[in-house]
Amino acid sequence: MIKTFTQDDLVRYIYQETTPEESIEIETALIFDEQLSETYNKLSATVESLKAVNLRPSDTTVDKILSYSRSYDLHALR
Amino acid sequence: MRKYAVSDSQLISQYKNGSEEAFAELVNRHKNKIYTTVYLIVKDQFLAEDLLQETYVKVVNTIKSGRYNEEGKFLPWVTRIAHNLAIDHFRKAKRYPMIVMEDGSNIFNTLEFSEDSIESRQIQQDTHALLRDLIKELPDSQREVLMMRHYMQMSFQEIAEATDVSINTALGRMRYALINLRKKMNKLNIAYDQNLYPR
Repeated sequence: MIKTFTQDDLVRYIYQETTPEESIEIETALIFDEQLSETYNKLSATVESLKAVNLRPSDTTVDKILSYSRSYDLHALR
Repeated sequence: MRKYAVSDSQLISQYKNGSEEAFAELVNRHKNKIYTTVYLIVKDQFLAEDLLQETYVKVVNTIKSGRYNEEGKFLPWVTRIAHNLAIDHFRKAKRYPMIVMEDGSNIFNTLEFSEDSIESRQIQQDTHALLRDLIKELPDSQREVLMMRHYMQMSFQEIAEATDVSINTALGRMRYALINLRKKMNKLNIAYDQNLYPR
Protein backbone atom coordinates (compact mmCIF):
# COMPACT_ATOMS: atom_id res chain seq x y z
CA MET A 1 0.00 0.00 0.00
CA ILE A 2 1.29 3.46 -0.96
CA LYS A 3 1.72 5.74 2.04
CA THR A 4 0.23 9.23 2.00
CA PHE A 5 2.58 12.21 2.32
CA THR A 6 2.01 15.86 3.09
CA GLN A 7 3.55 18.95 1.52
CA ASP A 8 5.69 19.33 4.65
CA ASP A 9 7.09 15.84 4.00
CA LEU A 10 8.00 16.99 0.50
CA VAL A 11 9.78 20.06 1.92
CA ARG A 12 11.80 17.79 4.23
CA TYR A 13 12.56 15.50 1.28
CA ILE A 14 13.72 18.36 -0.96
CA TYR A 15 16.06 19.57 1.80
CA GLN A 16 17.30 16.02 2.38
CA GLU A 17 15.92 15.74 5.90
CA THR A 18 13.99 12.51 5.41
CA THR A 19 15.35 9.15 6.51
CA PRO A 20 16.53 6.78 3.73
CA GLU A 21 13.36 4.69 4.28
CA GLU A 22 11.10 7.75 4.06
CA SER A 23 12.90 8.91 0.92
CA ILE A 24 12.23 5.58 -0.82
CA GLU A 25 8.56 5.70 0.23
CA ILE A 26 8.21 9.28 -1.03
CA GLU A 27 9.90 8.41 -4.33
CA THR A 28 7.47 5.51 -4.75
CA ALA A 29 4.51 7.73 -3.91
CA LEU A 30 5.71 10.32 -6.43
CA ILE A 31 5.40 7.73 -9.19
CA PHE A 32 1.80 6.85 -8.39
CA ASP A 33 0.36 10.05 -6.92
CA GLU A 34 -0.01 12.62 -9.69
CA GLN A 35 -1.06 15.44 -7.37
CA LEU A 36 1.86 14.81 -5.03
CA SER A 37 4.21 14.72 -8.00
CA GLU A 38 2.86 18.02 -9.31
CA THR A 39 3.32 19.67 -5.91
CA TYR A 40 6.84 18.26 -5.68
CA ASN A 41 7.73 19.69 -9.09
CA LYS A 42 6.48 23.13 -8.10
CA LEU A 43 8.26 23.16 -4.73
CA SER A 44 11.55 21.83 -6.08
CA ALA A 45 11.49 24.29 -9.02
CA THR A 46 11.11 27.14 -6.52
CA VAL A 47 14.02 25.82 -4.45
CA GLU A 48 16.14 25.59 -7.61
CA SER A 49 15.29 29.20 -8.41
CA LEU A 50 16.42 30.23 -4.93
CA LYS A 51 19.83 28.76 -5.63
CA ALA A 52 20.23 31.38 -8.35
CA VAL A 53 19.95 34.23 -5.86
CA ASN A 54 23.62 34.35 -5.08
CA LEU A 55 25.30 37.69 -4.48
CA ARG A 56 29.00 38.29 -4.21
CA PRO A 57 30.69 40.85 -1.97
CA SER A 58 33.29 43.16 -3.46
CA ASP A 59 36.93 42.08 -3.62
CA THR A 60 37.82 45.10 -1.47
CA THR A 61 35.67 43.80 1.39
CA VAL A 62 37.19 40.33 1.14
CA ASP A 63 40.71 41.83 1.08
CA LYS A 64 39.95 43.85 4.23
CA ILE A 65 38.78 40.68 6.01
CA LEU A 66 41.91 38.76 5.04
CA SER A 67 44.09 41.69 5.99
CA TYR A 68 42.43 41.90 9.44
CA SER A 69 43.21 38.26 10.03
CA ARG A 70 46.84 38.61 8.93
CA SER A 71 47.35 41.56 11.29
CA TYR A 72 45.32 40.06 14.16
CA ASP A 73 48.31 39.83 16.47
CA LEU A 74 48.86 43.56 16.10
CA HIS A 75 45.20 44.24 17.01
CA ALA A 76 45.35 41.84 19.95
CA LEU A 77 48.45 43.55 21.39
CA ARG A 78 46.72 46.93 21.51
CA MET B 1 25.29 20.38 -0.34
CA ARG B 2 28.60 20.82 -2.09
CA LYS B 3 31.44 18.54 -0.93
CA TYR B 4 34.96 19.85 -0.71
CA ALA B 5 38.21 17.88 -0.71
CA VAL B 6 39.26 19.70 2.46
CA SER B 7 36.46 20.13 5.00
CA ASP B 8 35.70 23.37 6.86
CA SER B 9 36.83 21.78 10.09
CA GLN B 10 40.19 20.81 8.55
CA LEU B 11 40.63 24.36 7.27
CA ILE B 12 39.86 25.75 10.73
CA SER B 13 42.50 23.44 12.25
CA GLN B 14 45.03 24.68 9.69
CA TYR B 15 44.02 28.28 10.38
CA LYS B 16 44.49 27.74 14.11
CA ASN B 17 48.00 26.56 13.27
CA GLY B 18 48.72 29.81 11.48
CA SER B 19 47.67 29.11 7.88
CA GLU B 20 46.21 32.33 6.47
CA GLU B 21 45.69 30.49 3.16
CA ALA B 22 43.28 28.16 4.95
CA PHE B 23 41.37 31.17 6.25
CA ALA B 24 41.25 32.71 2.76
CA GLU B 25 39.79 29.45 1.44
CA LEU B 26 37.15 29.45 4.20
CA VAL B 27 36.21 33.05 3.47
CA ASN B 28 36.01 32.54 -0.30
CA ARG B 29 34.09 29.29 0.12
CA HIS B 30 31.25 30.87 2.08
CA LYS B 31 31.35 34.62 1.39
CA ASN B 32 28.49 34.61 -1.15
CA LYS B 33 26.04 32.72 1.05
CA ILE B 34 26.75 34.91 4.06
CA TYR B 35 26.67 38.10 2.04
CA THR B 36 23.38 37.09 0.38
CA THR B 37 21.86 36.33 3.79
CA VAL B 38 22.88 39.74 5.15
CA TYR B 39 21.80 41.56 2.00
CA LEU B 40 18.35 39.98 2.08
CA ILE B 41 17.92 41.32 5.63
CA VAL B 42 19.34 44.82 5.29
CA LYS B 43 18.59 45.34 1.59
CA ASP B 44 21.50 47.69 1.24
CA GLN B 45 24.63 46.68 -0.61
CA PHE B 46 27.07 48.91 1.27
CA LEU B 47 25.69 48.09 4.70
CA ALA B 48 25.79 44.39 3.83
CA GLU B 49 29.49 44.72 2.95
CA ASP B 50 30.19 46.43 6.30
CA LEU B 51 28.28 43.78 8.23
CA LEU B 52 30.13 41.03 6.40
CA GLN B 53 33.39 42.57 7.57
CA GLU B 54 32.10 42.86 11.14
CA THR B 55 31.03 39.24 11.00
CA TYR B 56 34.48 38.07 10.00
CA VAL B 57 36.16 40.26 12.62
CA LYS B 58 34.16 38.27 15.18
CA VAL B 59 35.07 35.01 13.47
CA VAL B 60 38.79 35.85 13.47
CA ASN B 61 38.70 37.03 17.09
CA THR B 62 36.88 33.91 18.23
CA ILE B 63 39.07 31.41 16.39
CA LYS B 64 42.40 33.11 17.02
CA SER B 65 41.68 33.49 20.73
CA GLY B 66 40.89 29.77 20.97
CA ARG B 67 37.19 30.25 21.79
CA TYR B 68 35.77 28.51 18.71
CA ASN B 69 33.52 25.58 19.56
CA GLU B 70 34.39 22.69 17.26
CA GLU B 71 31.07 20.97 17.86
CA GLY B 72 29.00 23.23 15.64
CA LYS B 73 29.10 23.50 11.86
CA PHE B 74 31.11 26.46 10.58
CA LEU B 75 28.69 27.94 8.02
CA PRO B 76 25.58 27.97 10.25
CA TRP B 77 27.72 29.49 13.02
CA VAL B 78 29.04 32.31 10.81
CA THR B 79 25.68 33.02 9.18
CA ARG B 80 24.10 33.18 12.63
CA ILE B 81 26.65 35.83 13.64
CA ALA B 82 25.90 37.74 10.43
CA HIS B 83 22.14 37.39 10.93
CA ASN B 84 22.37 38.66 14.53
CA LEU B 85 24.55 41.61 13.51
CA ALA B 86 22.06 42.57 10.81
CA ILE B 87 19.15 42.39 13.25
CA ASP B 88 21.15 44.32 15.90
CA HIS B 89 21.84 47.03 13.36
CA PHE B 90 18.13 47.70 12.98
CA ARG B 91 17.50 47.52 16.71
CA LYS B 92 20.20 50.14 17.32
CA ALA B 93 18.97 52.33 14.51
CA LYS B 94 15.39 51.81 15.74
CA ARG B 95 14.38 51.06 12.22
CA TYR B 96 12.37 48.27 10.76
CA PRO B 97 14.03 46.25 7.99
CA MET B 98 11.10 46.53 5.59
CA ILE B 99 11.35 50.33 5.17
CA VAL B 100 15.03 50.63 4.42
CA MET B 101 15.81 52.33 1.13
CA GLU B 102 17.57 50.18 -1.37
CA ASP B 103 20.50 51.51 -3.33
CA GLY B 104 20.80 48.95 -6.07
CA SER B 105 22.90 51.03 -8.41
CA ASN B 106 25.86 48.70 -8.49
CA ILE B 107 24.26 45.52 -7.28
CA PHE B 108 24.24 43.83 -10.67
CA ASN B 109 27.99 44.18 -10.84
CA THR B 110 28.37 41.92 -7.82
CA LEU B 111 26.30 39.03 -9.14
CA GLU B 112 28.01 35.85 -10.19
CA PHE B 113 27.60 34.93 -13.81
CA SER B 114 28.84 32.20 -16.01
CA GLU B 115 30.43 32.94 -19.37
CA ASP B 116 27.31 33.68 -21.35
CA SER B 117 26.10 36.01 -24.01
CA ILE B 118 25.29 39.60 -23.05
CA GLU B 119 21.62 38.95 -23.74
CA SER B 120 21.42 35.86 -21.55
CA ARG B 121 23.36 37.63 -18.80
CA GLN B 122 20.84 40.46 -18.89
CA ILE B 123 18.01 37.95 -18.52
CA GLN B 124 19.81 36.37 -15.57
CA GLN B 125 20.36 39.75 -13.95
CA ASP B 126 16.73 40.73 -14.32
CA THR B 127 15.47 37.39 -13.05
CA HIS B 128 17.84 37.38 -10.06
CA ALA B 129 16.87 40.92 -9.14
CA LEU B 130 13.18 40.04 -9.33
CA LEU B 131 13.68 36.96 -7.18
CA ARG B 132 15.53 38.96 -4.54
CA ASP B 133 12.66 41.42 -4.45
CA LEU B 134 10.15 38.60 -4.09
CA ILE B 135 12.07 37.12 -1.15
CA LYS B 136 12.16 40.52 0.51
CA GLU B 137 8.37 40.79 0.14
CA LEU B 138 7.70 37.60 2.13
CA PRO B 139 6.27 37.94 5.65
CA ASP B 140 9.10 38.15 8.23
CA SER B 141 8.44 34.74 9.78
CA GLN B 142 8.52 33.01 6.38
CA ARG B 143 11.57 34.90 5.13
CA GLU B 144 13.41 34.10 8.36
CA VAL B 145 12.86 30.34 8.04
CA LEU B 146 13.66 30.40 4.32
CA MET B 147 16.96 32.15 4.96
CA MET B 148 17.86 29.95 7.90
CA ARG B 149 17.20 26.77 5.94
CA HIS B 150 18.28 27.73 2.46
CA TYR B 151 21.21 30.07 3.03
CA MET B 152 22.33 29.33 6.60
CA GLN B 153 21.84 25.59 6.09
CA MET B 154 20.24 25.06 9.49
CA SER B 155 18.08 21.96 9.87
CA PHE B 156 14.35 22.39 10.53
CA GLN B 157 14.96 21.09 14.05
CA GLU B 158 17.65 23.76 14.62
CA ILE B 159 15.35 26.45 13.18
CA ALA B 160 12.52 25.33 15.46
CA GLU B 161 14.80 25.65 18.49
CA ALA B 162 16.28 28.99 17.39
CA THR B 163 12.88 30.56 16.75
CA ASP B 164 11.13 28.88 19.66
CA VAL B 165 8.44 27.14 17.61
CA SER B 166 7.60 23.51 16.90
CA ILE B 167 9.28 21.75 13.99
CA ASN B 168 5.88 21.53 12.28
CA THR B 169 5.49 25.30 12.49
CA ALA B 170 8.98 25.80 11.04
CA LEU B 171 8.17 23.38 8.22
CA GLY B 172 4.83 25.05 7.62
CA ARG B 173 6.46 28.47 7.37
CA MET B 174 8.98 27.13 4.87
CA ARG B 175 6.20 25.54 2.84
CA TYR B 176 4.22 28.78 2.79
CA ALA B 177 7.37 30.71 1.86
CA LEU B 178 7.97 28.42 -1.12
CA ILE B 179 4.31 28.46 -2.17
CA ASN B 180 4.11 32.24 -1.87
CA LEU B 181 7.31 32.67 -3.84
CA ARG B 182 5.97 30.34 -6.50
CA LYS B 183 2.73 32.33 -6.77
CA LYS B 184 4.63 35.60 -7.03
CA MET B 185 6.94 34.11 -9.65
CA ASN B 186 3.97 32.86 -11.67
CA LYS B 187 2.33 36.25 -11.42
CA LEU B 188 5.46 37.89 -12.82
CA ASN B 189 5.95 35.03 -15.26
CA ILE B 190 9.38 34.06 -13.89
CA ALA B 191 9.97 30.52 -15.04
CA TYR B 192 12.61 28.18 -13.78
CA ASP B 193 14.97 27.50 -16.64
CA GLN B 194 17.76 24.96 -16.34
CA ASN B 195 19.85 27.05 -18.76
CA LEU B 196 19.54 30.11 -16.55
CA TYR B 197 20.27 28.30 -13.33
CA PRO B 198 22.95 25.74 -14.09
CA ARG B 199 23.73 23.32 -11.26
